Amino acid sequence: MRVVVIGRNWKLTLARLIVLVVACFVVFRFILLPIRVEGVSMLPTYQDGSVNFVNRLAYLRHGPQRGDVVGIRLADPDITRPSLMYLKRIIGLPGETAGFVNGTVLINGKALAEPYEKYICDWNLPPVKLGPNEYFVVGDNRSMPLQYHELGVARRSQIIGKLLL
Amino acid sequence: MKITFRIVWLVALAALGFWLWTVLFPSPEKIIRRRLDEVAKHVSFAPDEGTLARLANVQSLADYFSTNAEVNIDTREEGQHDFVGRDQITQTALAARSVLGSLNVKFLDISVTVASDKQSATADLTVDATISGQPDAIVQEVKITLQEIGGQWLITRVETIRTLSILNFELAGAHFIVSA
Repeated sequence: MRVVVIGRNWKLTLARLIVLVVACFVVFRFILLPIRVEGVSMLPTYQDGSVNFVNRLAYLRHGPQRGDVVGIRLADPDITRPSLMYLKRIIGLPGETAGFVNGTVLINGKALAEPYEKYICDWNLPPVKLGPNEYFVVGDNRSMPLQYHELGVARRSQIIGKLLL
Repeated sequence: MKITFRIVWLVALAALGFWLWTVLFPSPEKIIRRRLDEVAKHVSFAPDEGTLARLANVQSLADYFSTNAEVNIDTREEGQHDFVGRDQITQTALAARSVLGSLNVKFLDISVTVASDKQSATADLTVDATISGQPDAIVQEVKITLQEIGGQWLITRVETIRTLSILNFELAGAHFIVSA
């Protein structure tokens, strides 16, 4: 029984255990932030109470892409691991104009195909011109009136990472 | 051996002295953080809060603000609301207690910056408020300005910050002007 639990060489087992603990600590504290989704803003893609991870290394080689679901910080940038973050989908990229006409997203005046969008809405929002480091983000659940939905322009520095699952 | 023991003893004594020093003479940042935690507790209330407790808690809450404190709340759902002075803050807190069943407020991710003269400070934080009967919590970035007045750190200004900005858009009769 002892052999099964701690192995033949307890020193090696201990070293493996330490490596595993350190690796988990580094991965889940600095790279893949574990999150629990709260609220209905990203329905039906992400259910209230579901668990996911924000990949902080997703944008090392390239910037955020249209359609990515990202974590957006509310807190001061000095806080490396914020307690709360918004979960939103990127629909507008830097330099573009983004707006809504009768619920349809218009990017540079052209309708954006959104296969993930399941709810019909009638939102109208005049085009917003995005700056060089700005992204237009919105939730997938657009069944509520526009003023009850948190959407708008997020700076690149606010985007923590991309959702893993 | 004796020397080693003495060194260890001295280091332990120095650590104890440092800890005592920080307890007896906390830094302004530590004091502000503690006061903000107390403010969050006084803003919160349970559904079974008695009348006397209600008045005492609201009065205690007002004591954390300066006499001419400004509170500027601007949210997409509720629009803009401004309060000035302890009386208005007290009235608003009482009104909230009569309208809402219960409120649980937490101040998260507090970042305190103390001015070089140690007389004023700003705290950036995220408010996480849960109202009974509402499925979603209210999450809001807030900036709080404090000043040391009469030996106490008092709140002089509270303002909401929009995390996601949109410039001047108009919808369904409502006009929103949001700073970028």
